[in-house]
Amino acid sequence: MRRIETEAIVIGGGATGAGTLRDLSLRGVRAVLIEKSDIASGTTGRNHGLLHSGARYAVNDLESARECISENRILKKIARHCIEDTGGLFVTLPEDDPSYHGKLIEHCRYAGIRCEEIGVREALRMEPNLNPEILSALRVPDGTIDPFRLTSANVLDAQERGASVFTHTEVEEILRDGDRAAGVRCRDRLTGEKIEIYAGIIVNASGVWGQRLSASAGIELRMFPSKGSMLIIDYRINNKVVNRCRVPSDGDIIVPGDTVSLIGTTSKKVDYDRIDEITVDDDEIATLLESGEKLIPSVSRARVLRAYCGVRPLIAVSGEMDGREISRGIVLIDHEKRDAVGGLITIAGGKLMTYRLMAEMAADLACAKLKAGKKCRTHRTPLPGSERRVDQARSVKFFTGIPNSVVGSTLYRHGHRIRNILHREKRNYGLICECEMVTEGEIEYALKKLNVRDIVDLRRRTRIGMGPCQGQLCAYRAAGLFVKYDSATSDESNKMLVDFLEERWKGIKPVLWGDALREVEFGYWIYQGLFGLGDVRFEEEAEKR
Amino acid sequence: MIRLQNISFDHCIKCTVCTVYCPVARATHHFPGPKQSGPDTERLRIKSPELLDESLKYCTNCKRCEIACPSNVKIADIIQSSKWRYFKKSLRPRDFFLAHTDLMGSVATRASLLVNFFIKLPPVKLFLDLFFRIPSERRFPKYARGSFLAWYKKHRAEQEAFAERAVYFPGCYVNYNNHELGKDVVTVLNAMNIGVIVSYEKCCGVPLIANGYIDRARKNALLNINSLAASAAESGARIISASSSCSFALKHEYRNLLELDNSAIFDSLDYITRFIHERFLKGNLPELKPVRLRAAYHSPCHLERMGGVMNTIEVLKKIPGLDLTILHSECCGIAGTYGFKKEYYRVSQKVGAELFKRIERADPQIVITDCETCKWQIEMSTPYRVEHPVTVLARSIDGGKL
Amino acid sequence: MRYDCVIIGGGLSGLTCGIRLAETGASVAVISTGMSALHFSSGSIDLFGYNGEGRTVYRPFEFLDEFVGSNPRHPYALCGARQVREALFYFRGQLDLEGIELYNNDESNHFHVTTLGTLKPTFFSQRSVFNEKIRLAFEKKSMIAALNFEGYRDFYPELAVINLRRNVLFRNIEIITGKIVYPDYGDPQRNPFEYRSVDIARIFDTERYLEELAVQIRNAASGAAFAAMPAFLGISNFKRHHKLLQELTGLLIYEIPTLPPSILGMRIDNALKSRFASLGGVYIAGDTVTGGSISGERLESVVTENGGGSALSAGSFVLATGSFFSGGLVSEFSRVREPVLDLKVYSDAERSRWYAPEFFPRRGHPFLEYGVETDERLNPKTGDGRRVKNLYCTGALLPYYNPIKEGSGGGVAVSTGYRAAELILEGNS
Repeated sequence: MRRIETEAIVIGGGATGAGTLRDLSLRGVRAVLIEKSDIASGTTGRNHGLLHSGARYAVNDLESARECISENRILKKIARHCIEDTGGLFVTLPEDDPSYHGKLIEHCRYAGIRCEEIGVREALRMEPNLNPEILSALRVPDGTIDPFRLTSANVLDAQERGASVFTHTEVEEILRDGDRAAGVRCRDRLTGEKIEIYAGIIVNASGVWGQRLSASAGIELRMFPSKGSMLIIDYRINNKVVNRCRVPSDGDIIVPGDTVSLIGTTSKKVDYDRIDEITVDDDEIATLLESGEKLIPSVSRARVLRAYCGVRPLIAVSGEMDGREISRGIVLIDHEKRDAVGGLITIAGGKLMTYRLMAEMAADLACAKLKAGKKCRTHRTPLPGSERRVDQARSVKFFTGIPNSVVGSTLYRHGHRIRNILHREKRNYGLICECEMVTEGEIEYALKKLNVRDIVDLRRRTRIGMGPCQGQLCAYRAAGLFVKYDSATSDESNKMLVDFLEERWKGIKPVLWGDALREVEFGYWIYQGLFGLGDVRFEEEAEKR
Repeated sequence: MIRLQNISFDHCIKCTVCTVYCPVARATHHFPGPKQSGPDTERLRIKSPELLDESLKYCTNCKRCEIACPSNVKIADIIQSSKWRYFKKSLRPRDFFLAHTDLMGSVATRASLLVNFFIKLPPVKLFLDLFFRIPSERRFPKYARGSFLAWYKKHRAEQEAFAERAVYFPGCYVNYNNHELGKDVVTVLNAMNIGVIVSYEKCCGVPLIANGYIDRARKNALLNINSLAASAAESGARIISASSSCSFALKHEYRNLLELDNSAIFDSLDYITRFIHERFLKGNLPELKPVRLRAAYHSPCHLERMGGVMNTIEVLKKIPGLDLTILHSECCGIAGTYGFKKEYYRVSQKVGAELFKRIERADPQIVITDCETCKWQIEMSTPYRVEHPVTVLARSIDGGKL
Repeated sequence: MRYDCVIIGGGLSGLTCGIRLAETGASVAVISTGMSALHFSSGSIDLFGYNGEGRTVYRPFEFLDEFVGSNPRHPYALCGARQVREALFYFRGQLDLEGIELYNNDESNHFHVTTLGTLKPTFFSQRSVFNEKIRLAFEKKSMIAALNFEGYRDFYPELAVINLRRNVLFRNIEIITGKIVYPDYGDPQRNPFEYRSVDIARIFDTERYLEELAVQIRNAASGAAFAAMPAFLGISNFKRHHKLLQELTGLLIYEIPTLPPSILGMRIDNALKSRFASLGGVYIAGDTVTGGSISGERLESVVTENGGGSALSAGSFVLATGSFFSGGLVSEFSRVREPVLDLKVYSDAERSRWYAPEFFPRRGHPFLEYGVETDERLNPKTGDGRRVKNLYCTGALLPYYNPIKEGSGGGVAVSTGYRAAELILEGNS
């Protein structure tokens, strides 16, 4: 049993948890992050990566809209390498209520969101694949944000400032010391190691999973999980965020995310007991495709790479448990006040857009309780990778001899940190993932610096296996590199190869037709027909258990 | 900006077989291969044109990747179109001259003796090498005096007298350099009781496409489609070309690469040996005299892509006395104007090296191939003379010496 | 254009069929969209590797004798056990004529080692994968060295060795790993970390580096009897290189199939094409058959993408277009169809039943068992139920077998291709 003492514990490695860890670290508070799986593997990594301008919320929820536009402006400064300032459009289809258009303009004005009417022809020039039958178009400052990179950058910054991070480590119990939560007992899910960590304050940032966690401390917290499903298209079919100009509904948004486009989302209630086993239903896929085609007709011709879903963490406020008072906003709970349990606070609700604000609120309260720490600086301190704007053309020149596609992709993913990753030694820029241009150097960097413990984690840091082939060639190569760089034993590598392919399969099988099916037949042939991976028996694994 | 006409890259399942069969990737590792230059990075270029790699310029557009692809991805088309979609326009005078074959031809044929004389002089070669980056090793095809069209005009009436006729697209090479091949086409078809209607508006566009003059290529293509369609409609005839690359362009590049509607000519257009072979099969076989020749046949890439090689082989097999060796199908490396550029010259020769070796091993009296640029390349790189299959056939008909 | 037979699909099955027909003097054309699945194969020919419970089948012909009786729709049952044997040995004979020797363990399967160190039961293998010497050395429990080129991204011997060591068959066999370094290739632009198997095969094919490599291999193997390496001992002149390298090193050189492209498979592809061409067969590459005209119970002709308006007609046709991967079957949002003639397909109407919940299921993925339904003469039916009597379906296009779960892909391709040829010849005589 390992025992660690620190000032603050953050539970949950989503954007909010990572943001809180960073915020505390920036204030000089020693903190530890515990995440049961990988950072950004829960709700954070399961949305469409839209950097909201707030326009989407302006008509229904002015407060959220205002939070969004304010955070939008901050994130564009501090997280520029995680963001693409694409701009966004709201387009009205012939079947949509034309009055929403005017309402949106008006409410955007109230919220302080720049929203300008542009001509249909201008909209089609900006976005040539748009349905040519649209009636009108508005331009808003939407953009895209990569949740994996954002969260990872927060964690990296915190670690560089002295914080510790335990991924794949589950909190089994919140340890009580009388009426105080004094620490946590947790278990490393990969090694089985038990760890006890004690701190002056525990921040529960575990989102929808917080209900279970609080129960272990005898505190009731009520979540109302709602499932949102999305589809990933093989390549970019749009360059700007395309929103449908109507009361928010299913399949309203198409977001260009890095090399792909995403169609989102649906909204379905799920039982709390089922939050770890939700899947995308066939009718959701049909709805998303149908709505997507209405916005961008070429959706029908493109390959759907994956379908995935996340759980929105809506939380009941003020202790009422009947669900009438569900908040879509940010909820910060001081359990000392609410439940007479000291040393524990919960930060929940909100959205990816407001993760920094939520972290600030949580850290403010934590510092007040600890009677330590300086003022918040996260709104003006850039994340690692965003320290300076890096020009693509100059980088290409700097890395002469390395293909533009490789330099550009690395730069896009890691911003200013590209210089810690690429160098002219050939091994370093040998391609491992050929769809997304991930080099051996980038993998080495991720293994050594970015809390990567298996290939699935590696995917979130680098995009390995996220392209059209979904890991056919690169998964095996990556498994080999784990051994080469001493990040895993041979046996662990074989095992994580299975886990990775099974994880990819989860998202592919709902959309298994056309080229996706051909791709799977090919991939299955390689890994089972040629390699016999399914026949490998992991005895050492079994012994450990 | 995204234009989603050619989205065949979406069908790529990353099997990598195209790269195995790419002659350029084999010859130089400056070129990362068709998969990476084509479907892989096309996704990235759609995201941001800044992710364009210079290295894709090494592609010769031989289309062997497309033949190899089990997913019907138009790999070479993707790479070719990237050249003009994403790169800045080339302002090199050399590329302009190489691209505008008909312009150059119509000027040069007026003073062909002079041009042919000068272009061979070592100082001129050195000058071209230094200032135009045309490698001094490269030999130029000779220009003819006057044009093939001018010759044809004198014979038009007799050709129109035939009951069955075919519309013939001679292409720049026959029109400006090698009238004899055009005359051989007439000899062969006339022997089969078919008259030849020559229809030639403009260069087919292959060199324009290769050098990025895409608007010009589209203009030429539209003119050609219209004039050929009109000529064919008038006489109800089929359209033929004796250049494998011209026919390939008219049939496939117009449609897939230039994204033009060529359905007016698509079905009626044949490469000449297909046309002849089909008629041979129907019994229209002229009397053939023995040629007594040991020949090696090289199949050009674009004919391979069209699936026309077997027609040429079948036609050649009909020629009595022709001792034919079929060479293993390989790219000769010249790829039209590619081999005329100093930066690609070495690659071009390396691509062809295997073919040259095989020719030498076969040690024929002549080499036969359907493509004029393959002819230039082989004649320059080996001691062997190269003839067009139709020429060999014509000699078998008229008994002339080869 | 008219032929005695037009074969649509130029893979293992189509070419086996084409060779058998062309051998009798028939005029045969093979039309192929792209390179075949042989380019991704192990280069061994599997016959039947696993029974219904997933247990290894040791004596496949004995197994088949019983199996075909209880599985009458299985492609092997359509061929009959006797003709399956005939087909396989015919195939071996044809490859032999092209300089590829296939070895079998008499009537038994043998195992080949995979990239991950698992063992696959198979029937025929190339010399570098199975032969008498390899069998004896293995029985003597000789030491094995798994070697790799430094930095080669498509093979990691450590991942294989751990699984091999755990295998009971390899108990008490010492297995080591070692590295060899690329010879100086004299091209500063080459990034050896991006070499594919084919690049390395070409290094071997030049022969210039064989001696240098032999020294390295001998040193790295440090006393082992086997040097197991990813398969790249050349494509064109493999036999000679293998022999030379064995002589130079004094070791048994063993090839392991790698990530695609598969050098071992390409050798077979080359040999089949070369054999077909030498028999006068016409191979039309890079063209796709887009449709055909059926009148009565006969397919009269087919049209292709490149063919323009002109059709290819023939007395008989063979459809050997493969599975989904090769385009023989096409899947849409909610149905599976055959794209050339819209033939009747066996599949499931419910997409969620096309696949298993896990990627590595015990019972295999159902979609692998879909295909064009045929009668016992391999004749399919059109969508509206008409039998097409001069059209024969072969290979991975056929339903009711699971090539991966059974380990039977190669054998089914060869034997149904051969069977179709025999049926066509029977009909002609």
